[in-house]
Amino acid sequence: MEEIGFLGLGIMGKAMSMNLLRHGFKVTVWNRTLSRCDDLVKHGATIGETPAAVIKKCKYTIAMLSDPAAALSVVFDQHGVLEQICSGKGYIDMSTVDAETSSKISEAIAAKGGHFLEAPVSGSKKPAEDGQLVILAAGEKALYEAALPAFDVLGKKSFFLGHVGNGAKMKLVVNMIMGSMMNAFSEGLMLADKSGLNPQTLLDVLDLGAIANPMFKMKGPSMIQSSYPPAFPLKHQQKDMRLALALGDENSVPMPVAAAANEAFKKARSMGLGDLDFSAVHETVKSSKGSS
Amino acid sequence: MAKILMVKPSCTNHYYLTTAAILSPPKAALSLSKSMAACSSFCPQRPLQFRRKPISSLPIKTQFSVQVKAFSSQESSAPPKDEIPARVGFLGLGIMGSPMAQNLIKAGCDVTVWNRTKSKCDTLISLGAKYKSSPEEVAASCDVTFAMLADPKSAVDVACGKHGAASGMSPGKGYVDVSTVDGETSKLISAHIKSTGALFLEAPVSGSKKPAEDGQLIFLTAGDKSLYETSAPLLDIMGKSRFYLGDVGNGAAMKLVVNMIMGSMMASFSEGLLLSEKVGLDPKVLVEVISQGAISAPMYSVKGPSMVQSLYPTAFPLKHQQKDLRLALGLAESVSQPTPIAAAANELYKVAKAHGLSDDDFSAVIEALKVKLQERP
Repeated sequence: MEEIGFLGLGIMGKAMSMNLLRHGFKVTVWNRTLSRCDDLVKHGATIGETPAAVIKKCKYTIAMLSDPAAALSVVFDQHGVLEQICSGKGYIDMSTVDAETSSKISEAIAAKGGHFLEAPVSGSKKPAEDGQLVILAAGEKALYEAALPAFDVLGKKSFFLGHVGNGAKMKLVVNMIMGSMMNAFSEGLMLADKSGLNPQTLLDVLDLGAIANPMFKMKGPSMIQSSYPPAFPLKHQQKDMRLALALGDENSVPMPVAAAANEAFKKARSMGLGDLDFSAVHETVKSSKGSS
Repeated sequence: MAKILMVKPSCTNHYYLTTAAILSPPKAALSLSKSMAACSSFCPQRPLQFRRKPISSLPIKTQFSVQVKAFSSQESSAPPKDEIPARVGFLGLGIMGSPMAQNLIKAGCDVTVWNRTKSKCDTLISLGAKYKSSPEEVAASCDVTFAMLADPKSAVDVACGKHGAASGMSPGKGYVDVSTVDGETSKLISAHIKSTGALFLEAPVSGSKKPAEDGQLIFLTAGDKSLYETSAPLLDIMGKSRFYLGDVGNGAAMKLVVNMIMGSMMASFSEGLLLSEKVGLDPKVLVEVISQGAISAPMYSVKGPSMVQSLYPTAFPLKHQQKDLRLALGLAESVSQPTPIAAAANELYKVAKAHGLSDDDFSAVIEALKVKLQERP
């Protein structure tokens, strides 16, 4: 694969582009805060001054932005992707956004003759570092096939889900379940504690049975310690819940559990926990005691 | 002193080994034969198989691949008693009780059964179990009696009612209630049993039909420690691990917490499956995507495919899941713990029950989200 562009060097983007560099890809990076490019440059990346500059240089460009607003901005704003995208160039947006945002970007890219693939991922910081992401792609099949060498480095499994919007939707559904599970887990940990049980014993029991899963195993111990180092920021989880609920609204699908989970994440954000790991929603279950 | 270890490999063979945990080499052989003798009085029909290894060189735990995990929230240093329960009673032969009792019989135990509907005892009787016509008679004729009932009311009836187990209990006997009930019910049963001089252990299980059949249950016990120790070999036949959690009520609470999380997870999974379908995705692909990531759980992989086809073969009846959620919410209320997700999930199970899905598998909760539910008359 030729030189790849990479827009967005946050928690995910930095780990992913580092992974590509380590596997011998030539990478040109851009980030809104330029200083975050420094580590990448040390590992052999070159810098693009603007998203447009990166597109100009590279045949394929991956984007990893934090939310719909950032994803749109990088494409539509001055010095954005649209200024340089053209026939023969591909844009792969791995941000997690709603289907409408993805479609908007897709249409604009296509109008300029460019090629588009949405490819949000399942997995947070560590899977990004370890190249163990699950990639949920949709859009142009030919671009998907061209991107596979990069996807094989970035992830452990890739899915091609059809037309633009399907990847976005799949990601939102997965994260909706994850957000509800985290809340259910948090309620259980707290109830165990308040009932005089040892929360660590609850973790041991859960790990042996039908509902054992990597997330409980990974997050449980730190939640018991009230420690929430951000692998997946709570504000992004709440964004995903909100987008999933909107998807449910549009299609009249009842989602009472997800709605309750979203309320908990909103409360956590209002408590200023947005930049902590999404497991910090556990603090809302704790602070409920006797609070007004 | 010899330690009797029950070893369960992943296949279905059960074999009993002893290892001299503490003794110095010259005494090892003597204690081994003593332990084997105890084993054979416990399980008369089962030929003993043991590895011919020099016991003197054994480190305490690592010589054999021990797949039984025993956890205790308290120090457990008491050596096993000389009396291992020889006569085992089993009350309640439903989805869980029947395979559990069958596993005991297949392991060579002397089992006496009772069930409210007598015909459910037939399989067990054909395998060699004895039958008594009331819980009282079972308890009176056995050393340790297990009870696996569907809900608090049945558990209380069987233990404390007319011709109930308590009436047959006496010093030297033990009652192990493996039903899932609330803490107050458990304490009530405990008081009745212990007033006779007998011992009591609450021991609800995590695991449904298949783990029961495969002897892979997880026991969450609390109550009389000595009864826990003497019934451990029996628990190890029926299960893959056991926990001792202290005072009566702790086992019940742990089980309710686990099933509260499970009920919420199933409800959330149902929302996801339905949403994916409604927005034009293939729910089977959703199940596959989930299995690849951080939230991959055996329950999703096992139930997902049948839920996608609107099939709910009963491994864990929906009415029992809803009962557990109700009891968990009660527990939460008693300690002033808000549980909004569990409360929302509980509502869905109630809707499903209202549409006649009580006896379907708890995964049928997905029907509660549909506009046109699958109904049962």
